Amino acid sequence: MVFLYDNETYSYDDLLHAISGNGTYFPLYRTKELFPFFANMIKALAAGMPLTLIDADINASEIDGVEESDINAEQAFESKTYQNMDEVVAALQQSQSEITIFTSGTTGQPKKVVHSISTLTRNVRLGEKYAGQIWAYAYNPTHMAGLQVFFQAFENQNTLVNVFGKQRDEVYRQIADKQITHISATPTFYRLLLPFEKSYESVVRITLGGEKSDQHLYDAIGQIFPKAKINNVYASTEAGSLFAAKGDCFQIPEDIRDKFKVVDDELLIHKSLLGSSESFKFTDDFYHSGDLIEWVDKEAGLFRFKSRKNELINVGGYKVNPGEVENAIMAIEGVRQALVYGKANSILGNVLCADVQLENGFALTELDIKKHLSTQLQDFKIPRRIKFVEEMTLTRTGKLKRS
Amino acid sequence: MEQKILEIINEIRAAKNLEPVAELKPETRLREDLALTSFDLAELTVKIEDEFDIDIFEDGLVSTIGEIYAKLA
Repeated sequence: MVFLYDNETYSYDDLLHAISGNGTYFPLYRTKELFPFFANMIKALAAGMPLTLIDADINASEIDGVEESDINAEQAFESKTYQNMDEVVAALQQSQSEITIFTSGTTGQPKKVVHSISTLTRNVRLGEKYAGQIWAYAYNPTHMAGLQVFFQAFENQNTLVNVFGKQRDEVYRQIADKQITHISATPTFYRLLLPFEKSYESVVRITLGGEKSDQHLYDAIGQIFPKAKINNVYASTEAGSLFAAKGDCFQIPEDIRDKFKVVDDELLIHKSLLGSSESFKFTDDFYHSGDLIEWVDKEAGLFRFKSRKNELINVGGYKVNPGEVENAIMAIEGVRQALVYGKANSILGNVLCADVQLENGFALTELDIKKHLSTQLQDFKIPRRIKFVEEMTLTRTGKLKRS
Repeated sequence: MEQKILEIINEIRAAKNLEPVAELKPETRLREDLALTSFDLAELTVKIEDEFDIDIFEDGLVSTIGEIYAKLA
């Protein structure tokens, strides 16, 4: 059974051999290679050893409390022998390891959050129904979303195909070659796949997470992957995966519904659902998520995300939700991707600006886009400077980078 | 430089469905004669800054075309 397709192919037997009877690991492992990264992680977790996950391109100076000499320093532990992967999976599920991860640091220094295997694997689904799935691995493995996908696939001994950071043609080639059945990725990743040219029928499940998506994107995904069910997932570095739902809504599972509150539209999460971090601030044991939501059906715990609290841009006293404007721009035919942001300005405080990436073969002008938007948005929500760009800058977790 | 400012102003006017102006005189007033709002003026400053690397509103308000020319001179 194949565990991972990357530059090379690795079977679950290769993984077993890398782990079983081996008594050293790296508590802080920095590598660009997925197989040794995963092998090190599983070895540590199955043995109950603490682990800190760091990005392949990060320097110790960028993270608090980490010295360069700690990175890739080997440590010995009492080795364990496993007869087969079922034993490894069972050991991992009962792991008492502390797993330290960092926020992607889009707003300053990366913050440290300590998780247990139970918060990381809370939403993993197990059983025969989940056997034989082939996952496109489209996330950075050191961050929450990548860990969620990894554990879901690994605990069911599914196959992973690395497509993170790959070009469009290569992603499509892997989907076809490996007959990928499941893709979980950011909306930014899916936009890379536009426009529709050909459909891929092997894919039965598409999951979007990490950013807001829009109807235009859903429609395009529906064309490219006609057999796929599409759903969203909400996962944060702080809490892991809490709820998933169909369409553009989320539902809070009934058994944890008392662990949430909404104050001034902001979603508050009880500390019992979170990892631990010195950077968390609580009000009566509730954590301010920074996510602004609206109830669709409060009784049923059904809600929709509106925006991030700190994302609102103040333009001459008006508050603009950049996500709303991005959706309006991306709904225009010929636009692949849009990023809306504020630029400091002496008259208005901020001027609304947009970077727009067009689909191949389309020529739109700044005026075309403004005219289009003026039929849908209030004047203050229309970007005053629109730049056409060839490429968008992405963060380490594959989201669009806000300047 | 004067041609570029004319282009930027006509671009802003086009988005508001206003006729382009043929020429700018130093005494032309931004708000009264060209019908620019504070949002339009903000756009003007950003675009002039992109082009000439100077924030024309940095040290106080500018109200005529001549004052913009002076800042960029």
